[in-house]
Amino acid sequence: MSIKVVIKRNTYFDSVSLMSLSTKANQIEGVEQAIIGMGTEMNKGVIRNVGLMTPEVEEATAGDLMIIVKTANADQTESAYLAVEELLINKDKAQAKSDIKYATIDSAAQGIPDANFAVISVNGAFAVREARKALENDLHVMLFSDNVSVEDEVELKTLAHEKGLLMMGPDCGTAIIGNTGLCFANAVRKGNIGIVAASGTGSQEVSVRIHDFGGGITQLIGTGGRDLSKEVGGMMMLDGMKALEADEATKVIVLVSKPPEASVEKKVLAQIKECSKPVVVYFIGGNEEAVVAAGGQFAKTSKEAALKAVLLAGIDEAGINKRALNIPLVEEVRAKLAPEQKYIRGLFCGGTLCDESMYLAMEKLDNIYSNIQKNPDFLLKDINVSQEHTFIDFGDDDFTNGKPHPMIDPSSRIERFLQEAKDPTVGVIVMDFVLGFGSHEDPVGVMLPAIIEAKKFAEKEGRHLEIIGYVLGTDLDTPNIDEQVEKLVDAGVTHASSSTNAGLLAREMVLKGENHE
Amino acid sequence: MIHAKLGDDYFLQQIVATFTGTVHSVFKHALNIRSDGKDEIFTLATKAMDRAPNTLVIDLDTLDHLGIQQHDRVSVRHNELLIEEKLKIAIPKASRWQCQLPIYPANCTRLKMNMIRVKQFIDLHGKGGGIKRNDSPVSEFEAETSRLLQQRTTLLYEEILNQRLDRFQAYAADLVGLGPGLTPSGDDFLVGLFAIIHLQNSPCSMYKPLCESVIKVIQPLTNEISFTTLKKAAYGQVRESICSFIHAILYGTEVESIEALRKVLAIGSSSGTDIALGLISGLEANIKLGG
Amino acid sequence: MSKINELFTSKINVINVGIELFKDDILAQNASATHLEWSPPGGGKPEIIAALNKIDKAELAEKIEAANRLAVEKIVNSQPVLIGFDQAINVVPGMTKKTILHAGPPITWEDMNGPMKGAVMGALVFEGLAKDLEEAAKVAASGDITFSPCHEHNAVGSMAGVTSASMFMHIVENKTYGNIAYTNLSEQMAKILRMGANDDSVVERLIWMRDVLGPILRDAMKLNKDGIDLRLMLAQALHMGDECHNRNNAGTSLLIQALTPYILETDYPVEQKRAVFDFVASSDYFSGPTWMACCKCALDAAHGIEYSTVVTTMARNGVEFGVRISGMPGNTWFTGPAQKVIGPMFAGYKPEDSGLDIGDSAITETYGIGGFAMATAPAIVALVGGTVDEAIGYSRKMKEITTTENQNITIPLLNFMGIPTGIDIRKVIQSGILPIINTAIAHKEAGIGMIGAGITNPPMEAFEKALITISEKWA
Repeated sequence: MSIKVVIKRNTYFDSVSLMSLSTKANQIEGVEQAIIGMGTEMNKGVIRNVGLMTPEVEEATAGDLMIIVKTANADQTESAYLAVEELLINKDKAQAKSDIKYATIDSAAQGIPDANFAVISVNGAFAVREARKALENDLHVMLFSDNVSVEDEVELKTLAHEKGLLMMGPDCGTAIIGNTGLCFANAVRKGNIGIVAASGTGSQEVSVRIHDFGGGITQLIGTGGRDLSKEVGGMMMLDGMKALEADEATKVIVLVSKPPEASVEKKVLAQIKECSKPVVVYFIGGNEEAVVAAGGQFAKTSKEAALKAVLLAGIDEAGINKRALNIPLVEEVRAKLAPEQKYIRGLFCGGTLCDESMYLAMEKLDNIYSNIQKNPDFLLKDINVSQEHTFIDFGDDDFTNGKPHPMIDPSSRIERFLQEAKDPTVGVIVMDFVLGFGSHEDPVGVMLPAIIEAKKFAEKEGRHLEIIGYVLGTDLDTPNIDEQVEKLVDAGVTHASSSTNAGLLAREMVLKGENHE
Repeated sequence: MIHAKLGDDYFLQQIVATFTGTVHSVFKHALNIRSDGKDEIFTLATKAMDRAPNTLVIDLDTLDHLGIQQHDRVSVRHNELLIEEKLKIAIPKASRWQCQLPIYPANCTRLKMNMIRVKQFIDLHGKGGGIKRNDSPVSEFEAETSRLLQQRTTLLYEEILNQRLDRFQAYAADLVGLGPGLTPSGDDFLVGLFAIIHLQNSPCSMYKPLCESVIKVIQPLTNEISFTTLKKAAYGQVRESICSFIHAILYGTEVESIEALRKVLAIGSSSGTDIALGLISGLEANIKLGG
Repeated sequence: MSKINELFTSKINVINVGIELFKDDILAQNASATHLEWSPPGGGKPEIIAALNKIDKAELAEKIEAANRLAVEKIVNSQPVLIGFDQAINVVPGMTKKTILHAGPPITWEDMNGPMKGAVMGALVFEGLAKDLEEAAKVAASGDITFSPCHEHNAVGSMAGVTSASMFMHIVENKTYGNIAYTNLSEQMAKILRMGANDDSVVERLIWMRDVLGPILRDAMKLNKDGIDLRLMLAQALHMGDECHNRNNAGTSLLIQALTPYILETDYPVEQKRAVFDFVASSDYFSGPTWMACCKCALDAAHGIEYSTVVTTMARNGVEFGVRISGMPGNTWFTGPAQKVIGPMFAGYKPEDSGLDIGDSAITETYGIGGFAMATAPAIVALVGGTVDEAIGYSRKMKEITTTENQNITIPLLNFMGIPTGIDIRKVIQSGILPIINTAIAHKEAGIGMIGAGITNPPMEAFEKALITISEKWA
């Protein structure tokens, strides 16, 4: 063991610099321990405790900067110290650099050696090139942009796979990496559950439910909506699962997606079989038997997926508030609705939230129309006119063309809401409000005047209009969920505690006769 | 010519023709001046910084490139603060500010509610390495520092809970100068704690006079910058973001509390987190003592 | 550990391209993020992006990288030395009595703009090929005169660049690679041939330059066996506050200082020598052409390297802006319309009086000085309508589109960063950042002269054409 100590008299670095210098100094090759700190009596006491006290340290005073470098071999000490010294000198350079603006990924990657990630949200026509540049510079990529061809997606994902990098997207809206939410994400607790998701709002929903049940997230990897298509072959989902399996902090893995294409499903199931960690599978409207046969845990709803995950993660079931459906409330609303008020109208910002409510409704109701229906017979003839039960995803291209996503600008559905509220055949309107990074700062607030107006109008016409609101968010989000829910409830909206419950409530409230649960 | 935007009342009182001093240290957003004779530290801060005791916020984005160095002379002439020929600051337009700590409420239901979220948030977003333990300490030094901080903050907290007076000074002094950063974590923690002790009607306000006596013994234990901050806190003077946070957690909504907390956490590297934990420790003691 | 798992355990540091809000959210979570000042490559034109993608394919990209490394190595290592002065007819390759060289890419008499036509007419009178301006216009249009770009004769010419047989030229030799570059002498003043003026005073000055100034300089340099190391002198001039395109105070002092002992040693009468010194002292611009020849000499050495996308010429004829790149040897020009020059004008002139960007002087920016070295010349940032911070910003920004820094010539204010060297057309198109050019403004009509100075950019079109061509040829 060999120690070198240098005391710099009356030298002050701000705390931010000192801490980052200290962290970097400890990463220098050959350094067993490096201390960069002020020479206070207390700090000297700590140094004594860890056995690094020297006569020089003894002499340092509170205004002096101490640099102590310990290496295993004497011949490394000097060079290690020089490297630390270098850090101190370069501090100024690094600061000057922060003012530099970069125009290209190449120059930014060169100028910021610590950069490890690129978030790309430029127009799809240019996004592929930027993503490729990022991968070539060894940056992990989250590609928010859509309108990228499937050929380009395959090329990018193949390149990323070869280089061992994340290639999330195209059309990937949500990720949480190292506890940092990217694009559309919610502030959730750190924990031991990892998510790989082909669906943005679906993964937001699952992460928020996990948080609500007391669990937490390690990583949330988005794959982009087309990852599980035949052409792409689930490249990112398979790599993401592998990475989470290898991640020590992750104990449980959750997969979220629409059902994969058959050949891809095979691959995913085969990997689940091999996986050493429990895997919860939430394939919206997917096939339970195959998942169970592969040793996976099947979840029919987002809520069930979150619940299974937290239980597998070791959270005590007794302490979880499962937020059971409010059956008396359902009865009450049924009684209030007139016989002709037969239909649900779902107006959603989140695609998966729309999907989930729609699939739940389809279990018991017929004639369900949508702009995102798989069955062409039930595609809306005119997206601006609802038919019987209608579920609309305002985030779909039909509505976003050239406009911001409704999660950023939720005002786009106000008009439609007022239109539905006036329809005497409508019993229930169900809506989502998405909080979190990237989203509108007050999604409930912008809708509120319309809700109040609609309620008044229905009252005047002598009918009850049931509005169900679901707020996707956590107590850590800004604005936080409680504040938003309070606003809804004050306006007479029925609050659903989860996406699943929102779908179930809507369905149950319009059911008549023998279909009652 | 640069204009001073706003200044701490006490500092503005000091800036008269007889004021002289030297530059003590220079950072990107702050410049410390040691006054001659009184040996007090005053700070010039850029627009990015908040109001604080002994601080003058000036209309500049950065102090880089001015070429100001340690030991440069500082003087006052014609209502202008001069640093050699390098920086000239016009004082007259500066608005005055003085730290006003809120009153501790009789009913602390709201505080209790906000407290839960705030603690969660610090847990999630606070910076480790100081009072908040790092999941994976980078060195033995850091691990040992964390251990000592943990041990000593707990001792101090228990002393307050037991409403004993005899060891307070010794336990507080044991924290001064301990930990990483320019303002050591122990100092930061005390700044937070002292602020709570100084709230009007604070259940733990019996320790007020002791804060002042602590100050008398700790000067050699820490650097001048941190000492000045501690000394001001010992008389109930803390920076604006801390003030606002205390107000928010006592009287605001959860959202407001978290917003204000973010600003405190943004102070320094781990300093903000350490201050926040000092505040929490004081508030928890208040809740328990207040019944 | 895989790179993905490494990411999980390290601090995320994001480069954000596109929606800026995402960067703010990341920063709010205590993580690091840098927002790119991004603009769509090639202005978003699909054919340009396709061409960029084509030349980005690994195998070709490697060839280009290697070629560009070689090109900038040649630019940086070139050591241009002023070895003498002589008349164009005696030294410039391809020069004839009836040849007129001009600035920029090729252009016919009919297409020339006002200042260039004015300069051509003045030169024809000066050479005795026409008795007056009226006749000169007819001679120019007769087809008897050969018009050719300076650049195609190892030469450069400032502003109109009009160079005729009996004009005296700088002779600059590249001691590293052996090639030679030429340019004519500064006429000082504002009302001069190169700015399109052509009255008697202009022609008389040209005659004096031919009969007195030129011979004295020629004979003085004959006495200087070592020549004058221009690269060294250029580096000094930059440290003294010149950017050596629009500000030449220091460079001119240094140059005349080096020439003076030899001028004194020549056998000419004292009055004539005195007239030479007075002439040099009359304007700081005296060394301006010298640096152009110096830059041309270095860049010619780097021209013709297969697969190199480094720009070796930027030149304007007042109508078109022309670019040559190293990888397209010989005289392959890529052109686009010449742009307006924005900057302060002399009293009494308005922006609509300005002729479009003209001259070979952008060779200085091609080399890395002039607009690229704005940070060395804080004194003239007002001249180009900016602040010192902007000046520093320009030099930093040019690093985005260049290949390397030339450590022989440094910028003190930027921590002695080398001048940005080797403009890469790929980077220009990818970043959307155009080279910045400091330059003078000539009146759009023939016969008036300089009316201001300012900054301008090349047209992106010239770079795009070059890119399309190489992507078709090389991929």
